Amino acid sequence: MLSVALITFAGLVALCLAMEKHFGELLKRKPKPGQLPALRWAGWALLVLSLILAVNIRGLAFGLVEWFALVMAGLTLWVFGLPYQPRLLLGLALVSMLLGPVLAALGV
Amino acid sequence: MKRKAGGILLSYRLAVASRCLAALLGGYLLASMASVCITLLVPMTPVDATLTGMMLSFVFYLLAFIWCFACRTATRAWLGVLLPSLALALINGLAYWMKNP
Amino acid sequence: MKEGFRQAMAWLHTWTGLLFGWLLFAIFLTGTLSYFKDEITHWSQPEVQRHQLDPAASLGLAKRYLQSNAATAGSWFIRLPSDREPALSVSWRDPNATGRRGFISHELDARSGERVEVRDSRGGDFFYRFHFQLQMPHPWGRWLATFCALIMLLGLVTGIITHKKIFKEFFTFRPGKGQRSWLDGHNAIGVLVLPFHLMISYSSLLLFMYMVMPASIMAAYKGDSDSYFSELFGRDDAPKAAGVAAPLTDLPALYAKVQTIVPGARIGYLQIANPGDSNAQVTVTQAAADHVAYQRSANWTFDGVSGALLSQGEPESAAMMTSFTIAGLHMGNFAGPWLRWLYFVFGVAGTAVIGTGLVMWLGKRQLKHAKSGRLPFELRLVEVLNIASMSGLLLGVAGFFWANRLLPVGMQGRADWEINVFFLAWALSPLHALLRPGRKAWGEQLALGALAFAGLPLLNALVTGHGLDQSIARGDWAMAGFDLTALGTGLFLAWAAGKMLRTPNVQAKRAPRAAKAASTTAEVN
Repeated sequence: MLSVALITFAGLVALCLAMEKHFGELLKRKPKPGQLPALRWAGWALLVLSLILAVNIRGLAFGLVEWFALVMAGLTLWVFGLPYQPRLLLGLALVSMLLGPVLAALGV
Repeated sequence: MKRKAGGILLSYRLAVASRCLAALLGGYLLASMASVCITLLVPMTPVDATLTGMMLSFVFYLLAFIWCFACRTATRAWLGVLLPSLALALINGLAYWMKNP
Repeated sequence: MKEGFRQAMAWLHTWTGLLFGWLLFAIFLTGTLSYFKDEITHWSQPEVQRHQLDPAASLGLAKRYLQSNAATAGSWFIRLPSDREPALSVSWRDPNATGRRGFISHELDARSGERVEVRDSRGGDFFYRFHFQLQMPHPWGRWLATFCALIMLLGLVTGIITHKKIFKEFFTFRPGKGQRSWLDGHNAIGVLVLPFHLMISYSSLLLFMYMVMPASIMAAYKGDSDSYFSELFGRDDAPKAAGVAAPLTDLPALYAKVQTIVPGARIGYLQIANPGDSNAQVTVTQAAADHVAYQRSANWTFDGVSGALLSQGEPESAAMMTSFTIAGLHMGNFAGPWLRWLYFVFGVAGTAVIGTGLVMWLGKRQLKHAKSGRLPFELRLVEVLNIASMSGLLLGVAGFFWANRLLPVGMQGRADWEINVFFLAWALSPLHALLRPGRKAWGEQLALGALAFAGLPLLNALVTGHGLDQSIARGDWAMAGFDLTALGTGLFLAWAAGKMLRTPNVQAKRAPRAAKAASTTAEVN
């Protein structure tokens, strides 16, 4: 389930960055045209992907429940950690983006 | 002036109390009637129909609560819960009579 | 009274939140503790040793114990040890006694099968029972708790309606800005964990719906709730004893049979009707940990003499699956370690939503009286109740655990005294809050709570042989986890106390240092 957790987290961060206010605050620059919609699509795609992965690994009942729990936990971590450790959390999101698919391929 | 303000306050408080009662008791009546109505009318086995009716009843309770505090006057609050309850009660009576003649 | 729907809903949110917030806070906090019910019980009764699980061997031990201690009982009940519950528990009905007294329960060591003399304590079960019975006579506590659940659900719905920028401020939390931050926090915890909040309050209604909304049962079963339940759970009555002695079948063999039906199934408990009689029956029920939903089909009834499979629980209909899933989600029996921790965190989040709401209600109204420094009676009352319901409850919980370790093990009515200490500590809190100004009362009670919680691991190490060093070395993570959580709670309370005891205007800058200082005192204790 670690892969699901990481991909979910990456998806949530992408959705947050897809908002102009947060993009500017976190990345300290203006988004290029088309960048925000791309982030939004990527975010939703990652969330759907992680949900499919979760159901695939854990079955429908456990997969759904655990995916919801991971989404809520990821959001809580992101929103309440952001004012204190924005760089750390952005770094974590980047690592999640890279490590998540690798772990998923390994079946963890 | 002061007495008038006090008077408004009292009538306001009574209205709030009336709305609370309408939500609490009227809402419960509506929820019960709705649950019975669902139980008697859905084409399921008795146990499933009972479960479904009870599970959905709280949605009606919740809506009744919201109605009682969202509508314009306390009288409307009471009417808004009692009239649907009455209508449901009639349907329930009919359905019950048809099932248990 | 109101202009517009949103204002009306804001009014409803504010006032139902205030009136029920205090009780809801207690229900949510004790309910959150209940996710670690078994672990808390394990801490409260450290006499029970944790062993490697071996269900088949445990069944043999339980049978041997029951045969030599309860041979004449009409029915036996065996609960197997699990990852969370180390004891092998056996119970039976004393044939010579009637009523509730006749039910005897013993805890056995899972390796030796010998009875463990545990200290008399309700443990985690106390908090579990309290969160829906509120220590009130039956059925009033359940009614009140269920009504609180409805108010919570109403609070969530009205809160969503009131929240203007639910999507725009979805990811927003701005700390260090007074009332603004409290509102941000309240909204963020409410919205981000909303699926959990909705699930937990709606499912609470479902758990007692047969009691609070019985009209459907009256209509469909003419008020005969017994036949409703027997159709719902699909249970058959146990057969009558034949009066002919016959040896009971081999229980470990039944365990093996269940394993061939459902490979890898964990077994929760066994019910044995008429043991030692030719009409004996054994029902094996799969552990609740194996399914998200409660499953009435997950049990198997065997002939108690030949060991032949007689029947399996009936399958569930779609409506049942819905209801059982919602109930199962509330209980969280299926959750493994990390998911259980998330359940705990979300429970704390729900508690925090209620707490921040109560604090904000007062904070907003306090501003008007900031200059005079004196609060009118009703605001002072809310302040005292806020303090008592939040920090006071925490002191009560800490008191319960201190009592568990300090009351003499052989004391008469020991379990009741643990509960008395809980309520005494809680009751002292409003008295203290009455005597001290608001901020001081908060700070002092939180500081005491910090000491009490951070001191628990130390106390545990001093009076039992289960301190952190021992439990970690033994790999007893339930015991160690309790101590570490208590320590963490203590540190958090010390941080909060530090914030409260500083003067408000320098608070923002000096808070981190204050917290560090306070937590070191707590650690030294």
